Amino acid sequence: MEVVKEQKSKNLWQHAWGTLLSDKFAVTSMAIVTIYFLVAIFSSLGFIAADWTKEIGPSYAPPSADYIFGLDIFGRSVLAKTLKGTEVAMSVGLVTGIISMIIGVTLGGIAGYFGGKIDEVIVWFYTTFNSIPYIMLLVAITFILGKGILAVYLALGLTSWVNLCRLIRGEVIRHKDREYVQAAAAIGGGDFRKLFLHILPNVMHIVIINFSLQFQTAIKSEVILSYLGLGVQGQPSWGTMINDAKLELARGNWWQLAAATLAMFIVVLAFNTLGDALRDALDPKLKGK
Amino acid sequence: MKKTLLLTIVTTLLFGISCTKKDVSNERTLNLTVSSKVKGMDPIYSNDRYSSNEVARVFEGLLEYHYLKRPYTLVPNLAEDMPTVSKDGLTYTFKIKKGVLFHDDPAFPNGKGRELVADDFVYSIKRLADPKLQGLGWWLLDGKIKGLNEWRSKYAELDAVDYNEEVDGLKATDRYTLEFKLTKPFPQFLYSLAMPFTFAVAKEVVTKYGQELLNHPVGTGPFILPRFEQSNKITYTRNKNFREKKYPCEASEELKVKGLLEDCGKKLPLVDKIVVNILIEDQPRWLNFQKGKVDFVAVPKDNFDTAIPDAKNLSPEFKAKGFELLISPSLDVTYTAFNHDLELFKKNKALRQAMSLAFNINDANKLFYNNTALPAQSVIPPGIAGYIENFESPYRGTGKAADLAKAKELLAKAGYPNGKGLPEITYDCPASTVSRQIGEYFRKQMAQIGVNIKVIQNPWPELQKKITNRTVQTYGIAWGADYPDAENFLQLLYGPNRAPGANGSGYDNAEFNRLFKTASVMQNSPERTALYEKLYRIAAEEVPWIYGVHRQSYTLKHAWLKNFVSTDFEAGRASYLNVDLKQKAEAKKKL
Amino acid sequence: MNIYTYIMRRLLYVIPVLLGVCAIVFVLFNLVSPDPTLIMLGKHASVKQMAELRAELGLDRPMLEQYFDIVKSAFTFDFGRSWTTKQEISEMIKAGAIPSLTVTLPAFVFSTILSIAISLLVAFYRGKAIDKVVVFACVALMSISSLAYILFGQYVFAFKLGLFEISGYDAGFPYFIPYVLLPILIIVIISVGPDVRFYRTVVLDEVYQDYVRTARAKGLGEKKILFKHVLKNALIPIITFVVIRIPFLILGALLIESFFSIPGLGGITLNAINSSDFPVIRAMTVLSAVAYIIFTVITDVLYTLVDPRVRLS
Repeated sequence: MEVVKEQKSKNLWQHAWGTLLSDKFAVTSMAIVTIYFLVAIFSSLGFIAADWTKEIGPSYAPPSADYIFGLDIFGRSVLAKTLKGTEVAMSVGLVTGIISMIIGVTLGGIAGYFGGKIDEVIVWFYTTFNSIPYIMLLVAITFILGKGILAVYLALGLTSWVNLCRLIRGEVIRHKDREYVQAAAAIGGGDFRKLFLHILPNVMHIVIINFSLQFQTAIKSEVILSYLGLGVQGQPSWGTMINDAKLELARGNWWQLAAATLAMFIVVLAFNTLGDALRDALDPKLKGK
Repeated sequence: MKKTLLLTIVTTLLFGISCTKKDVSNERTLNLTVSSKVKGMDPIYSNDRYSSNEVARVFEGLLEYHYLKRPYTLVPNLAEDMPTVSKDGLTYTFKIKKGVLFHDDPAFPNGKGRELVADDFVYSIKRLADPKLQGLGWWLLDGKIKGLNEWRSKYAELDAVDYNEEVDGLKATDRYTLEFKLTKPFPQFLYSLAMPFTFAVAKEVVTKYGQELLNHPVGTGPFILPRFEQSNKITYTRNKNFREKKYPCEASEELKVKGLLEDCGKKLPLVDKIVVNILIEDQPRWLNFQKGKVDFVAVPKDNFDTAIPDAKNLSPEFKAKGFELLISPSLDVTYTAFNHDLELFKKNKALRQAMSLAFNINDANKLFYNNTALPAQSVIPPGIAGYIENFESPYRGTGKAADLAKAKELLAKAGYPNGKGLPEITYDCPASTVSRQIGEYFRKQMAQIGVNIKVIQNPWPELQKKITNRTVQTYGIAWGADYPDAENFLQLLYGPNRAPGANGSGYDNAEFNRLFKTASVMQNSPERTALYEKLYRIAAEEVPWIYGVHRQSYTLKHAWLKNFVSTDFEAGRASYLNVDLKQKAEAKKKL
Repeated sequence: MNIYTYIMRRLLYVIPVLLGVCAIVFVLFNLVSPDPTLIMLGKHASVKQMAELRAELGLDRPMLEQYFDIVKSAFTFDFGRSWTTKQEISEMIKAGAIPSLTVTLPAFVFSTILSIAISLLVAFYRGKAIDKVVVFACVALMSISSLAYILFGQYVFAFKLGLFEISGYDAGFPYFIPYVLLPILIIVIISVGPDVRFYRTVVLDEVYQDYVRTARAKGLGEKKILFKHVLKNALIPIITFVVIRIPFLILGALLIESFFSIPGLGGITLNAINSSDFPVIRAMTVLSAVAYIIFTVITDVLYTLVDPRVRLS
């Protein structure tokens, strides 16, 4: 029976992949996300925008043929800063997504699978955690960890796992009494083996959908942290660029804001579209569409 | 159903708009703005500029700065005259004005404000020293008044503080005579009596309201605030029982112009009402000014180019609207301090000089101060004795190629040719956008000679903590004068004042300390000025900090606002200001 | 299970959650927070004065005592005094809650109604061009920084066009109305994006349920299905979503309050964060946690009353 189930789940993935590929919005989104990742990787390796610190013209030069997105206060290229900012944005999205995924899946899986006292403790823990406003947790964590990109990762990661944890718990509860899990038990699978090898792959779609939504929330939260002066230090991020714009707009310098917003808009849109497409493709409830 | 709901909402909104309070135009109202939350109205806690300005509308002190004299000159306020000082410079005797009344308040019998007496000052100053209250101005008097430190230490241990216990150096010898005895000559003492920390409160009021005093200010001042609300708008009304205080008839030469003496001899205050709007962000402050909702405003850095294109004159567009521009230097200095606890900086003067030379102040001035500030050569700002006109420090970086070459030479001399062997140096700064940009600029300047800087932003309290705990390497900060005396700046480099005292950099130089110690107890005299100048030169040569600039304030005001002068000590200014209602009505039509 | 026992049990559950919240708050702001005395004494602090102040504030008391103070404050709402303003925190909250609510509450109501209406429309035309356009527009609205909306709105609508007050606030009805119109408008624009996206999913979830297919098979019109059946069923998740967000309205809107000079809790919080005023941050955290817990209980109870099946799980 286990084999049958796995067959079925493989079909689900294949089917989902097929659905995704047939949706041209989803394909475009995937392409965009890939490009962003490539830009981030190349900029961290120094192939792109490595010279963002260089002054290439007068302070606050407006966009022109020479400077596509204009220049900032020190005469640095806004385009180069935006590209370099991709690195921060994508890494923040990725790392916080992974942190919240690890915590959420582990706790949610354990709570759902074992039930009883363990479940109660975990549910208590996330209910408690969830009662505290997100912004306060963010502030407190950055106060404690000091400033820098590590603090941003942890602050955003540690404050965003509750939703996923709750969803996974619910799904695992639904799955654990199913036949295929029973069958695995019959042939002598240990608890963790059952949980991680058999149940989790079947709830993976939730993780993926959540990850893609989490990703863009993290990118946007970085902006808020930067406004509070708790953001990334020493390298350009879209958050600091937008924060700079608070003062620059007064003198009519809109280009730094525009460049960062545009960069953010495209990737957020791509992730949203992708998230929706993934949801349509992976969530069995909606499959009948 | 839905339609009725919508209709109700729309009518409510329209009703609401038509109901907005209209200005009562026959009332002279000052509309002011501050850029930070006001903490409260208790004089002993008014340690920031904004709160102390508010406190000074309601409360008054023995002395104040003459409104129209520069350099700043102390004149009596609640004191009848300037004090008589004993020959040894230790005893100060004040006569206080008779017939000055506190504001009416339920704290007094029958709700009528009683007369101010010398004892009120004894009480108010003890309150500042009260260990249980932890007044924020204690540093002003710490160790300076005979017996006061002992009094404070004694009651720090006990449960209740006894204000009746006499302090030797702080006595009311009769109803209107107040006598201070100092532990050592301290000429700056009089300045502290013009600061809101030492302003007079009445014991009855403190007893009645306790800690809530900060919401129930009752003073002798020109304006009344029955209750301080935690809102973004503070409304004061004129004190009808205010004593006979007149607008001054004399002024320094530079202030005799501009019709500043037109109100000569008129009874203060000149306006009926003050509305203080708390506007934290630049944009709403700037826009409200342009709409005439605020009488004057400091020009935000990023609106500077539009408002004052040539850095001297107002743009024609703004002139046509009836705005007027006032430029005046501020008593302050910005700087990047080295932590002299670190052997790296302490021992290596050449390294400090190299870094100072690599820092191009002229470009910084353009980028961050719209080229309006004065590059600082040393620690004392212009406008007070000790500043040397046209002095140029040999270690002041100005962006010339020669400076850079010399910087590189000095760096090699320091043992780090082209920065080789030098570790990465951290630079801590506050979290604001401009501070961060200055940090980035500093990093770029240092990179020119191979010095690597890492910029770290901190919320303000965090930065203070790091400075006090000595966990900084370099940090960017500014100092504004507490009072107009070079001593207030030089003490920042006085060894024994090291952090947690005011000397955050921990600079400690025997020669400097010795000269400072001598100068700090001298009365104002040419000899003292000579010493100050000597200290100024040492501070330039030694480069304990990389000096930044002395800023200038750029204020825009509406033509209807009269008697406005720029000052570093705003406390009490509001009572001198006047509003020309006719002119205002005319001008507002154009806005 | 009897419904009353369920409600009782649900209420009792509040206690461990509250203790947990207080524990987290305690760890974050008492155990690992920086020394407050420096903040309070400012640029002229001395070591002796700092030690005196620590004693005055009770920071040298046993940890357990400090923890129970927090727990106590969750019930009595007595949070002590602010470190920076020295004001009674409960008074600050009282003074700030109303101005905050006058902005956030109407904004919340308008944006919720508007978003649900749009999402129903979109669900009606699902998969068609209009659906894609609306989703695209929502994401576009979402990805522009709220700072940009505020700066732009204030400059263009209030200053240039003079349609609204630039900033300020007068206490009392109806004086505050002209001041809150623009902030409300901006919040509605900011929240309509994510809201529509959420409600659209909720509505679509229902659209694909079996009963809809049955109804369709019976030959009911699409409009009727949508408004009669789908909306009715979607109401449960919608109400849950709405009720759970109410407690956060109290906290106000950080940026909006700061730019429009509205004397609400958002401004107080922002100020407290910037000045490391821990008692105030702590109070805001505890306050909103308590509100959140209460509203969760209310939702759960409402939920059981509406749908008795839930009780069993």
